[in-house]
Amino acid sequence: MSFFKKMSRRTLVRAMIALPALPVFRKLPEIDAAQAGPSRADPNEIVEVNGWILKRSDLA
Amino acid sequence: MIFDSYEAYRAANFKPKVCILGSGPAGTTIARKLGAAGIPVVVLEAGSRDFSDESQDFYRGTTVGDFYFDLDITRLRYMGGSSNHWAGWCRVLDKQDFEPKAWAPDTGWPIRRADIEPYLPEVHDILELPDFRPDVPISDDIRWVQLIKSPAVRFAEKFADELDKSRNIAVVLNTYATELAGDGKRVTGAKLWSNGQDAGSFSADYFIVCTGGLENSRLLLWSNQRSNGGVVPNATALGRYWMEHPTFEGGNAILADYGEFEVDAVNEAFFSPTLAAMERLQIMNFGIRLIETPYAGVKHVIADLACTAPDMAEWVAYQLSQNLRCAAQLYVAWEQAPLASNQIELSKTDVDHAGVPRIELHWKKSELERRTLVEGLKLFGKTLIDKDLGRVRLMDWIANGEDYPTNEETAGHHHMGGTRMGTDVTKSVVDANCKVHGMDNLYVGGSSVFCTSGQANPTTTITALACRLGEHLSKVVSV
Repeated sequence: MSFFKKMSRRTLVRAMIALPALPVFRKLPEIDAAQAGPSRADPNEIVEVNGWILKRSDLA
Repeated sequence: MIFDSYEAYRAANFKPKVCILGSGPAGTTIARKLGAAGIPVVVLEAGSRDFSDESQDFYRGTTVGDFYFDLDITRLRYMGGSSNHWAGWCRVLDKQDFEPKAWAPDTGWPIRRADIEPYLPEVHDILELPDFRPDVPISDDIRWVQLIKSPAVRFAEKFADELDKSRNIAVVLNTYATELAGDGKRVTGAKLWSNGQDAGSFSADYFIVCTGGLENSRLLLWSNQRSNGGVVPNATALGRYWMEHPTFEGGNAILADYGEFEVDAVNEAFFSPTLAAMERLQIMNFGIRLIETPYAGVKHVIADLACTAPDMAEWVAYQLSQNLRCAAQLYVAWEQAPLASNQIELSKTDVDHAGVPRIELHWKKSELERRTLVEGLKLFGKTLIDKDLGRVRLMDWIANGEDYPTNEETAGHHHMGGTRMGTDVTKSVVDANCKVHGMDNLYVGGSSVFCTSGQANPTTTITALACRLGEHLSKVVSV
């Protein structure tokens, strides 16, 4: 509560506007292949799309 | 000798030891084997030398359950039987088809494939077949198998001259055995219908029922009813475990190298699962048939693929522009799980002109078979990807889990089961020698003795079993 009391209303609004853009400037960690889903890790994964049985790498 | 009427046959005073009912592939093959062994045999054929609507009318019946063909369309009632409309595809059941499968109840034969293999050279002569090449595994899951498109031997055309000249074989046309009489140990005679009227009784030492995969059950059910169980004493399985090869267009494939599989003269190639794949996926046997897609169909494939995999669509379009084969339609035929509920019953309301109840066929495809269709196509698609051979697309109704279409092939006109072979008298009708359980002189020939259907067209196996039964009987019957 004390934190919000010390911020001016103008500062608070500016912070909320800037918040969605923060990830753009943040350096994202490398995706661990083991933790990532197979869809990202394996272009050879077999997928079914519109009845086609394809490799993920076949997709547009 | 061939007689066009029962009256003419009687005038000849021929004395047969064996009476065969039906002159299709099984009946003709057994007769030739017995005749060659010097055993006098009569073949009673209900129809005449040619097709007639009047004769076909005896085959009318009804079907309950899944959509099926009219029963007077799916078989033929004249000399040579259904070989007269056979397409000619040949392959013997696989070794694995004879083995019991833990995931599919009531599978497994009392004989192995090795038991009919000695007769295959004879079968090749009869059906005019070249040698089969061995199956080619294209992965641990899928085999590239061979079905030979034979000249489609019409048994009446091919063997009429031989039968006519034979002194040991009498073929009697227009003579319908409406029922057998029995005392629980032996068949004591047959009641005949000829030229539109009752033709009295007929007796022989042995009777072999070869009237087809639907009619064998009908005749024995009716005979047993009339004889109070005296023809098939253990009748629990009689008419049951009836099977077909459901057949549908399953999808399309684009192939990196269409010539890879050296498709035969009719541009078709066939693929089936390995036993290991069937066991892992808990599915039945199946056959995927590749047929080259016509030009318009390939354009449809390109349009369908363009939104999903544009690079691949572009490749197909290029192949098409170069007049190169690159796409195939996939037709799938599969083995039905043997179910006692798929059965032939006698109509309670409708009889034929001779007073014999018509067939009421109860037939329904099971969930296990639906899984076989879907998993089979997916397995084939995965194999093509793994081996870099191509890609597969499932038909919408399969991908979306919709009902079977009713405007397609539906099935192969392959009528199997109903008098199946086995050792358990509650689940089979004939023993390993095709002799009806408990009867001394009654045998059954044809695909009605099949315990399981495999995926292969049945005529080759029918003929092999007929050679085997003919040889067995030639040792059993004393002249």
